[in-house]
Amino acid sequence: MKGRGTKGVAFQYATALFLILVLNFFLPRMMPGDPFLILSADSENEVISVLTEEQRQYFISYYGLDRPIYEQFAGYIFSVARGDLGESIYYKVPVWEAIWTRLPWTALIVLGATLMSTVAGVLLGLYSARHRDGPADKILMAGLISFAEIPSFLLGLVILLAFSVKLKAFPLAGAITPFAHYSHPLDAIWDIGYHASLPMITLSLTQLTGIFLLTRNTLVTVMTRDYIRTARAKGIGERLVWNRHALRNALLPVVTRVGFMIGMLMGGAVLVENVFSYPGVGSLLRSSVIARDYPLIQGIMLVMAFSILTANYLVEIVYERLDPRTSSGEAA
Amino acid sequence: MVEAVCGACCQEKEDSFKAPQRAAMMPDLRAIKADWNFIMKNGDGWRDHLAVALNSIQDSIGRFSPSGKMGISGLLLIVFIAIFAPFVTFYEPSAISGMSLEPPGPEHILGTDELGMDIWSQICYGARMSLLIGLAVAMISGLGGGFLGLMAGYMGGNWDRALLRTIDITMALPSFPLLIVIAAFLNPSILNVMLVLVFLSWAKPARVVRSQALAMKKQQYIISARLHGAGPVYIIRRHIMPEALPLIFVSILNISSYAIVAESGLAFLGLGDPTSKSWGMMLHYATSFRSIYFTPYWQWWLMPPLIALIFLLLCLAFIGRDMERIVDPRLRSRGGQ
Amino acid sequence: MSLLEIRGLFIDYYSDRDAFRAVDDLNLTLERGEVIGLAGESGSGKTTLGLAIMGLLPDNVRSSGSILFQGEDLVAMQDSDKDRIRWRHIAMVFQNSLEVLNPVIRMVDQVSEPMIEHLGLGKEQARARCVRLFEQVGLDSVWLDAYPHQLSGGMRQRALLAMALSCDPDILILDEVTSALDAFTKKEISDLLCRLQKTADCSMILISHDITFLSAVSTRMAVLYAGRIMELGATSEIINYPMHPYTRGLINSTPGIFLYRDLWGIPGEAPSGQVRGCPFFGRCTQRVDLCSRQPPRLLPVRVPASAEGMTVGSSERDVACHLGGVVTLLRASGLNYSYRLSDGKLLDAVKDVSLDLREGEVMAVVGQTGSGKSTLAHMLAGVMGSDVGEIFFDGKKMNGDRYGSGYGGIQIVFQDPASSTSSRLSVLDAVKEPLDINGLHSPRERIELVASALSSVGLPTTDEFLRRHCGELSGGQRQRVAIARALIMRPKLLIADEITASLDVSSAANILRMLKGLQNCRGFAMIYITHDLMIALKASDRIAVMDGGRIIETGNSHYVMLYPRQEATKRLVGARIHKSSGGNCI
Repeated sequence: MKGRGTKGVAFQYATALFLILVLNFFLPRMMPGDPFLILSADSENEVISVLTEEQRQYFISYYGLDRPIYEQFAGYIFSVARGDLGESIYYKVPVWEAIWTRLPWTALIVLGATLMSTVAGVLLGLYSARHRDGPADKILMAGLISFAEIPSFLLGLVILLAFSVKLKAFPLAGAITPFAHYSHPLDAIWDIGYHASLPMITLSLTQLTGIFLLTRNTLVTVMTRDYIRTARAKGIGERLVWNRHALRNALLPVVTRVGFMIGMLMGGAVLVENVFSYPGVGSLLRSSVIARDYPLIQGIMLVMAFSILTANYLVEIVYERLDPRTSSGEAA
Repeated sequence: MVEAVCGACCQEKEDSFKAPQRAAMMPDLRAIKADWNFIMKNGDGWRDHLAVALNSIQDSIGRFSPSGKMGISGLLLIVFIAIFAPFVTFYEPSAISGMSLEPPGPEHILGTDELGMDIWSQICYGARMSLLIGLAVAMISGLGGGFLGLMAGYMGGNWDRALLRTIDITMALPSFPLLIVIAAFLNPSILNVMLVLVFLSWAKPARVVRSQALAMKKQQYIISARLHGAGPVYIIRRHIMPEALPLIFVSILNISSYAIVAESGLAFLGLGDPTSKSWGMMLHYATSFRSIYFTPYWQWWLMPPLIALIFLLLCLAFIGRDMERIVDPRLRSRGGQ
Repeated sequence: MSLLEIRGLFIDYYSDRDAFRAVDDLNLTLERGEVIGLAGESGSGKTTLGLAIMGLLPDNVRSSGSILFQGEDLVAMQDSDKDRIRWRHIAMVFQNSLEVLNPVIRMVDQVSEPMIEHLGLGKEQARARCVRLFEQVGLDSVWLDAYPHQLSGGMRQRALLAMALSCDPDILILDEVTSALDAFTKKEISDLLCRLQKTADCSMILISHDITFLSAVSTRMAVLYAGRIMELGATSEIINYPMHPYTRGLINSTPGIFLYRDLWGIPGEAPSGQVRGCPFFGRCTQRVDLCSRQPPRLLPVRVPASAEGMTVGSSERDVACHLGGVVTLLRASGLNYSYRLSDGKLLDAVKDVSLDLREGEVMAVVGQTGSGKSTLAHMLAGVMGSDVGEIFFDGKKMNGDRYGSGYGGIQIVFQDPASSTSSRLSVLDAVKEPLDINGLHSPRERIELVASALSSVGLPTTDEFLRRHCGELSGGQRQRVAIARALIMRPKLLIADEITASLDVSSAANILRMLKGLQNCRGFAMIYITHDLMIALKASDRIAVMDGGRIIETGNSHYVMLYPRQEATKRLVGARIHKSSGGNCI
């Protein structure tokens, strides 16, 4: 992280984005045979998307397969920059619109899980570090580490089976109760929260351990530093030593971690939404995969990649601002 | 004791007089010869390294914690089942051997799926799939990435800069969305999935090994070895490799976990190889079954692959965590020494 | 009541397997306005003591005894009560490192934090005070809003000092504040401390291995070794006339106190485990049986009258040594010797000379030719008796006894290599002679001893060499043989009478270095007769200047040479040092 300027970071993310665009552009053209002749059917789904001649023509003109390749690429970049991601074959609406209706749900659980795991992770980490090698610390370490190793969708399945199927304490699917009429806005918020809680908990559990361990171990290391001894010598009390001197240093790596966490949570959300049949972008992706709705798949991936890259980029910028050692006013 | 100290004081002068002279007269010839001898004697170097690696693994196992040992036994169990799948099952995994959705019983110990295929058979043969993907991807990207990182870190210069850039960009790529879209467009064959996984996972071992090589290059014993006339081949084999191998090994464990998760995730989304019976595919079929949660079927259709996957991943994680602890004592007590 | 009083302090570090005693039965008081220096090698417990006063010892430490600050015991105190005293009354300037200041907090916030906590100042008030503090320590106030990593090492040290001064503490503990700094900054910081001490009226505890720095700033000094105070007294007097063998070794190992003197470390290592007796036992050159059994207590001693150049008895000195510090090995008083010339007149070669020589000390006797140096040497060695006066060696009066006839006595090496050993004798026989004469050891052992003596003076030990006749050797080799012959008797005092005068420059230098090296690690005392002042300045602890048969000046060689008080000394010094520096064309 150190030693790279903001420019280097920007270049890195710009290149990654460009790479994704190139991939997105060439993938359909690399498909074996004529992809648009697939008469696809997924046996256990009623969604059978047989391409009509009309759709075939749409594909050819959308991908511009009749023009030279560089022209096609320039056109592709241009339309993406304009926000034109093409039209969904299955939903028969612009891709952007299809994604936009689902995006809030995904944002809700991803951001909610980020918040939950960060706050809980930092608090637990602080507690564990302060009571290092005590019984609570040991239990937390052992318990949380097991969660970290189970990928989100498997954990989601376990949670779904336990709480929704067995205990019937939470809904099996959806983001709101169907056909519900709310008498009060709070009821709506409650209903949304009730539906979002299991996916959110699942996602945050997978990231909680990382934050917890990072906070705890960084704090433990930070507490051995000379400046902590200096702070203690000042007689400002143990509480301030932890909260002002130790935590501030320990939070720096947590900030980085949170940024990369958003990326992982986005990936995890795709699967977890499908586990809980939560109507976010992830569910949309699965239906578009099943329906072989290529423009939609590409659009979703582009939107996701773009948000992940932006989140990571922002985190690096924020980190550089936060840590005076890497900030640009250093040339003293 | 005082005598001995005195002897040393007086002896020192004589030695310090001779040593520079000697060095001036024999410019590194002996060192070069020693290097050459070393290389000649250990002509088949890979065997040497393998021995080193095996030794370090052997040492490590002794130092495993109870959870690490549990992990190893669990992994061995799965490997056993995968290898001897035909001997521990009664049916072909894709043979329709019973009624649709039979509950567990004497005929089918774990019951059957929707198409009447034996679930126990699918679990056993599915283990092959997960292990194959995990191992192959991890070996290729762990060893390949490690090798690239080692070279770049040791050689430095433009190659290193180029590699570092590539690593940074690769690591910035959002892997899962990319995986989905590539899998969606390419043939959903196992080979393609593996290639994509390798493409997305080589960067981490490369980075770890590179920084290790970079740090080691500055160590004084390496510098003095170089001053004694050792070439890069000698230094990499003798000094850097033994330090880098355990790191690569840990990477391999982590990547195999990652690959297994990624494959089953893709399969779960319906992007798996339809011809394979992987655990992820089983999850996919089971969860795609309409209203499975309102029937008792999930208990024997969904649970086995779920438990198997979690079990395998936990085993790998336990081993990985122990390995990490063993190969890098600094992780445990930083700044201790 | 003293400001700070440490009584019977023990501090033990515990690890999984063993315990390590860092501070061992330590007693120390600090008065208001006093600056006390704690000197010692690394691991001597200096920093541990500082941390103990601050109550900052790590968890794996157990301590007993008491540290009384204005009557309150800091050892027994709760952490919350310690916070009341920390920084408000006792502040510490930590050893400079990148991490000693919090890297993510601006300087101004770190410096004003204790003021806000302890003095109840507001943010603005605290900032204003910071500006003044920065001014006081010589830092520009633009650095207030900087982060620690933006400051240079010297600036960081000043900022730490400003931070420590922020609450006007009664006691300031400074831990190795100059060790990471360059010479220039070091000087500035030490000047700053001297200024502060005068203006701020706070007591200071200076922790440093750098005796030069301590001598510049502190008034009193405690020398620590293995967690114990070995010597305690006024700083300038300790440096001028160390009473404990360890202190002497430490001063000899410190460059910059006596600029021209050669650097000699203390042989051996500090004890690593628990020791029953005196911790310095293994490295001490004057140890006796008692030292290994019982640790010495820190007791007041009398600084002998021979401690020239200081007002005798002006201050107290405490030394932890069963022998009361470095013992006086040789005491001569009222020595006189006159030669009867052929015309019957008496020529006073040595007139009323008194001399003290301490164990392990190197004294150079300098003077012009005919000043009586050699006569004095011969009298001390027992070559000739004195007309009047008496000589005590090792506490016993010398009455024509031959102190060279046994181990632990006096040996002399003479000036002329050609006559110091018999040309007829083989090297083996020449070196073995004293053993043969005194019938010491079996013949076989004697040969082994000869070999080890020869190798210690840097001569070959081959049969061929042993059989060679002394006459065949070069002057330098013969002188080495003579030294080996003296050393084989393991003397406590070696008198070297112009031993290099007839040698060429290079062999003279080799022999001198060898001899001084042997002296340093075997710890015998040496009287070195020479007319070469530069050699005297380099090799000796003390110098006695002779003129016309009298000792006209003695003292620490540094002071005698650089600040001579007697006319004759000035003449001698002027003839040497100034000429040589004037002739230097660089």
